[in-house]
Parts: sequence; C-alpha cells; structure tokens
Amino acid sequence: MAVSLSYDLLLLLVISSLDWSSTPGSAFLTDHNRMTSSGRSEKKQQKRERATPVEPHFTECMSRDLETFRCWWSPGTFHNLSSPEELRVFYLKRNSPSSEWKECPEYSHLNRECFFDANHTSIWIPYCLQLRGQNNITYFNEDDCFSVENIVRPDPPVSLNWTLLIVSPSGLSYDVMVSWEPPPSADVSTGWMRIEYEIQYRERNATTWEALETQPHTQQTIYGLQAGTEYEVHIRTKMKGFPKFGDFSDSIFVKVTEIPLRESAVLLTLVLTFGVAGILILIMLIVVSHQQRLMMILLPPVPAPKIKGIDSELLKKGKLEELDFILNGGGLGGLPTYISDYYQDEPWVEFIEVDEEDADCGEKEDQKSSDTQRLLGLPQRSVGCFSADSHPDDDSGRASCYDTDLSEQDTHLLAASLLPGQPEDEEAFLHPDEKAPASETNKSPLIQTESEGKPTWINTDLYAQVSNVMPSGGVVLSPGQQLRIQENTEKESQKKGTLGEDTSKLNKPQFQLLVVDPDGSGYTSEITARQISTPPSSLVPGEGYQTIYPQPMETKPAAPSEPNQSPYILPDSPQTRLFAPVADYTVVQELDTHQSLLLNLPTQQPPPPCLPQHPLKAPVAIGYVTPDLLGNLSS
Amino acid sequence: MKAASICPNDQTGCHLLPLANLFDRVIQHSARMHGISDDLHSEFELYFLPSKNQIGRVSRNCHTSTILTPNGKENAQRIAREELAEIILKLLVAWRDPLWHFHQSMSQHDEFTNFSSNKSLEMSDMVHELRKGVLKVVEKMQMLGIISNSVGDTGSPEALLTSDSAEWRFMKDYDLLYCFRRDSNKIQNYLKILKCRIVPKHGC
Repeated sequence: MAVSLSYDLLLLLVISSLDWSSTPGSAFLTDHNRMTSSGRSEKKQQKRERATPVEPHFTECMSRDLETFRCWWSPGTFHNLSSPEELRVFYLKRNSPSSEWKECPEYSHLNRECFFDANHTSIWIPYCLQLRGQNNITYFNEDDCFSVENIVRPDPPVSLNWTLLIVSPSGLSYDVMVSWEPPPSADVSTGWMRIEYEIQYRERNATTWEALETQPHTQQTIYGLQAGTEYEVHIRTKMKGFPKFGDFSDSIFVKVTEIPLRESAVLLTLVLTFGVAGILILIMLIVVSHQQRLMMILLPPVPAPKIKGIDSELLKKGKLEELDFILNGGGLGGLPTYISDYYQDEPWVEFIEVDEEDADCGEKEDQKSSDTQRLLGLPQRSVGCFSADSHPDDDSGRASCYDTDLSEQDTHLLAASLLPGQPEDEEAFLHPDEKAPASETNKSPLIQTESEGKPTWINTDLYAQVSNVMPSGGVVLSPGQQLRIQENTEKESQKKGTLGEDTSKLNKPQFQLLVVDPDGSGYTSEITARQISTPPSSLVPGEGYQTIYPQPMETKPAAPSEPNQSPYILPDSPQTRLFAPVADYTVVQELDTHQSLLLNLPTQQPPPPCLPQHPLKAPVAIGYVTPDLLGNLSS
Repeated sequence: MKAASICPNDQTGCHLLPLANLFDRVIQHSARMHGISDDLHSEFELYFLPSKNQIGRVSRNCHTSTILTPNGKENAQRIAREELAEIILKLLVAWRDPLWHFHQSMSQHDEFTNFSSNKSLEMSDMVHELRKGVLKVVEKMQMLGIISNSVGDTGSPEALLTSDSAEWRFMKDYDLLYCFRRDSNKIQNYLKILKCRIVPKHGC
C-alpha cells in the first residue's frame, strides 16, 4: 500500500513536473525585469496551488551578499505533514561528476528556511536542491538548480536623506538631492559586488511610482517636484549585470513648503516699473530742456528767402514797396554799387538765377555783400556757386534765360543800350562789332549812337514813369516815384510770374525810353533795324516788347510823319522833356490809332520765361531786356 | 583618479599609481565585457526559450569547467596572487577561439539582428584586448616584484590542447553564452580581488 501510494505520488510528481514548465527552481534563473521579484514567486505559488495539489517545493532561494544564500520551501498542499521536520533539504553541487547530495547545513524550521553559510557557498557553481520527506520520498525538480550569482538580491541602501538643491524662481517647483549609504551586507568596497540603485518616488496619495534610471552612485537628484506636495521616496538595489532587484528600502518623505515668492515677485515688478518710469521722466526732461538744440538737429530749419539788411517780413504780401525802397537805396548804397558792378555781370535774368543759387550757396558767399549786389549777381558771389549749377533743374524759364547765348559782350551791349548815361566801356560796346554776326552790324550804329546818347541818361533813374504822351507819339517821363509803380504792379499779384509780367511792362517804358530818346536817330535806326530784322514773334521774352513791337508793325502805315516810320512814339520836341529825370513809369500797352500810348493793356503773348524769376528784383534790375531781345539786338 | 588617494607619502605607495590605473582600466574593460555577454544572453533567452532543465545541462557542458577556479571570495583571497593572475589569463585564453567561432556562426544566421552580431564581434575583440591588458598588468607586477615570474603567457596554442578544446565545438550557442557570461563575471571578480590584494586600498 505504501508502495502504491508512493507510486501514485511519483506519478503525480511526474505529471506535475511535466505540466509545469516553470517551477520555483527555474524562477530563480529566468527572472528578468519582466516582473518584480517580490510578487513573482507568490504568483506562481498561487497558480500552482490553485490548479492542482502541490507537492512540497522550494519557494525561493536568495543571496544577499554573494557569499551566502538561503532557501525557503513550502510543504505544499499535497498531503498533510505532521511536522515540518519531516521534510529535509538536500543539495547537490555540480562541480564534479562525483558529487552527491548533502543535507542542508543550517535549518531554520520556523521559517522553513535553509541557510548556506560562506563555507558551503560556492559562486559560479550550479546548485540543485531537493526536498525529501519521510520514507525517502524525494521531491526534486530539475529546474531547482541555480548558480548563486544569479540569485543575488542585494539589500536596500541605508541612511537615506534628502537636501533641497534649488527652487525655481516661481517658487512652484524644486529639485532635491537624495543621498544614501550602500547596504552594509554588500561588499562594495572591495568591489566584490557592484551595485546599482534605483530610486522611485510618488506623491503621497498616488498609486503609481515614478522610477528613475538605475545608476551606481550613492546619490541622485530628483527634478521637478512640486512645492507644497509631499513625496515618498524609496530605493532598491541590484547587482550590475544581473537582473534581480532587492527589496525596497524604507521610504522617506520629501516636502517643501510653498514659499510665498509671489510677494517678492510683486516687489520686483514694482521696483522695475518705477525704475523704468523714472528713467523715462529723466529722458523727457533732457529732451525738453534741450528741445531747441534737438529740434535743430532733427528738423533743420528750411532756409527762408533772406536778403541781408531786409526784414523777411517785407517779403511777405503787401510790403513790396518798402522792400523796394530799401533795395533801391531807401537806405544808402543801394544803387551805386549795383550800377558800377552791373557791367560785370549778365543781365537781371542772371541775378535771379544766382539768387536762387544764393539760397543754395548762401553759406559760401560773403555775407558782407549787400543783398542788392547779390541780386544783381555781383562778383562777390563765389564763383563756384555761380558756375556750379549752370543748368538749374526745375525752372525752365531760368534755364532758358540762362542758356541763352547771352555773352558778356551782349550784356554789355544791352546794358549800354539800356542804361542811362553809362559812360564806361565803350570798348565793350565795340566788341560786339567784332563778334557779332553780320546782322549785328546794325547794332553798331546803335551802339555808337547809344554811346552818344549815353550821357543824357546819366542822371536818370532806372525807372521812369510816363507822365504824358505826346500827340506825336513821344512819351514824357516823370522822374522818381518808383514806389507808385511798384504799387501798381503790386496790385496785380505777388507771384513771380505776374510780377515778372509787371516788371516786363515796367520795362517797356525803358525800352520805350530808348525809343523815345531824342537822339533818336541812332535809336530810330536801331528800331528800324529791329523792325526789319526782328520779327515780332522773336520778341517772346518780354510781353512788353511784344506788345510794343507788333503794334508799331501794325501801325506802321499810320506812323506819323517821322521819316523812319517807326510806330513807336517818337518824340519831336519833347526831347528836352525826355531828358528830364523820370522816376515813374507805366507800362505802355499799345498805341491807339492816334499814336497815343495805351497803358496797361493785356498782354497778348505769354510772358517771358525768364521774367517770373525776378519778382522782387524787378524794380531794382535795370535790364528787362530779355536775352531774346538782346539776341535780336545783337543780331 | 581614485589611484591618487592611495599614494601616501611613503614611496612604496607612490610607484603603485600607474599599476592602480592599469588595474582600473582592466577592471572597467572586464565589466563592459560582462555587460555585453549579459545582454546577449538575455537576447538569446528571449528568442530561444530554454527548456526546463537548462541549468543542469549547461553545467555539464561548459568547456572551462575543468579550469580550477576559486569559488568564493574567501577562496579568491586565500590563493596566491600569481595563481589568481594565472587563472584569469587561462580563462581569457580559453574563450578566445570559442567567441570567434560564435561570432562567425552568429553572422551567418539571419534571424539575429545586427545588434547581436556587433555585440558578438565586440565580445570577441574584448577578450583579446582584456587578455593583453591583464598581461600588461602582470608584467608590471612582475617588474615591481610584487609577484614572481612564474606567471607565464598561457596563450600558447599548446595550452589550449586540453580536453576542453573539443568540447566547445559542441556547445550550442545559448550554452556558450551562458558559460561566457558566468566566466566573464568570474574574471571581473577575480580582477577586483587581485587589485584589492596588490594595491592597498581602504576596505580591502
């Protein structure tokens, strides 16, 4: 019966051994990181117990220090054992073929544990264990063989403590350095065991643990913990190169109270705000105090029309007469200088241009020169200024005026012809004879005659007003009263163009003066020359001229008894009268059928392009003869 | 370096500095070798689930089982330093050819990933390097007079002509890996013990 029972037992043993691929023995060897060491053996044990009645078996064998190890067994549910002592542990060291089973060196029946001390422990040698019950029943599983180095589970570290590393500026999170001592049982100092540590932490009431990477050092930093939350930290160890972890150490608790850094942050922001505001105020003060200078730097003033000695206010609307007064020697030294220097420059057209350039080159020029001189284009100006821009860009009229083939000689000629009583430079007058074209030969008599007639004009003002018109066609000029004329001109418009027109009209009498000159023979010849040589259309530059010229053409047949048939008003007797200094003048628009001058007639042709350029200088400039006219003269 | 701490004012300690450095490097090397062997072994266990009685079977087949090795810390501390050094060298020599052969067979199998193939090659190379390193250490020790000159180069082919030489050819790959994993751990521990015995250090 016992035999049958043992047979049954054997059969059952074989069946069970066949059924189960994994046994406690193999569990020692094949345990990897797939499941934790603590739960593994229990699970399998439960499985076994649930499925079939289990025989006595070993639950676990473990080494803590790679020098000793111990095994635990369980009697199983197979049959009742009267006492634990009935089961005996035998082991076999497979280091030689002739090894035999030996009994456990040290029992601990209370724990059902067999302890193998250092003398009985051999590393790197397979051990096999078996349980033997009474009647020599052997419960043996091949899988219960292992090598000690594979069953090492080191003890957990001791002396855990933590220190605060750093708190984030917001005060919400912090880093903590956890340090510990290696397990005392493990011989780490000699290097016999090389241990790695794994830290796990979790919030106080959380269920899952956060695990950090296994590392061999005895301290580690935990980053990103939240302030105000309590954390639980524990560590476990394992041998380097082997998969089994030891038990967890006792937990320590880490907590950092939330520091009210918000106050400091608020303070900081307040300080920053006030600082920035203070700096801004300071900058504003500096800007305001140095406003003028800053404005000068940032927005340089636009150069306004400026004539030295003349208040710029006069240049504004309605004050032209005062300006003219000043310019024309209401103060002193207006005219003489200009008269003397006139010959040296080109006609008034030039003045205007130069004055424009004056604005550009104002700084270069000699500030001492009077405005009058500047207006007249006197040589005080820097040559560079003058010649720098020979082609003024925007004003076509100016350009045309400038670009006309006015030569100095021509200007001189014109000046000679126009100026009253300019005795100088007779040679200049003669020069054009050489250079002028054949058509200019007519000019020469004019010149000569002009020179003859010059002295008569010495004491004459620039402008003369026609005070009366002779029935013979002569014009009586009245001296002085330039202002009146200016007023008349002023009334029309203040613009350059219109002023130009007016001045051109004003110029007409000058021209007429020429015509009217009692010496007239030369002039008349001149006029006739003009009539012959110059078509009326060529007299485009000056409207006054234009008006004058065509009319004489028209009224040619109706010319008076003058032998030269000049439609112009040719004075007969009023020559003497004509010599009277004339200061005022008006514009002769046309001649009526009665050979009388009609004043202030509308112009029929566009004003000369050059005229608009000298609005204010018109009263001052002498030569209103346009370059075209001059050209005509010369030609 | 740790070795610096073991150099007190006495002269005997100072000239051991380079030896301690050598030991450290060799120990690091052996640790890495053991790590690789462990990785490969785990991989093999994943691919080829071993049968139940693997451990018993394997223990019979390791070709280095014939080499007598100290089986515990005390034993390793008790035997002569020269003997310990010689055992280490024997082990390293014994694994030179099997690992090379293993690498060859690994590269032929398509199911192994490149990772495994590289590791087997690395393992094979490491055994070579480690043997050279240990030889250097032994030379240094002999030069310093710490050990006698009895430790010779056991790498000669004649030393390999033991019964072991044929056995490893019959070992399966998995068994080979298991055996090597065990032996690399032995080498690592022996080196540690040897260093502790030769270069005095706190705790040894």
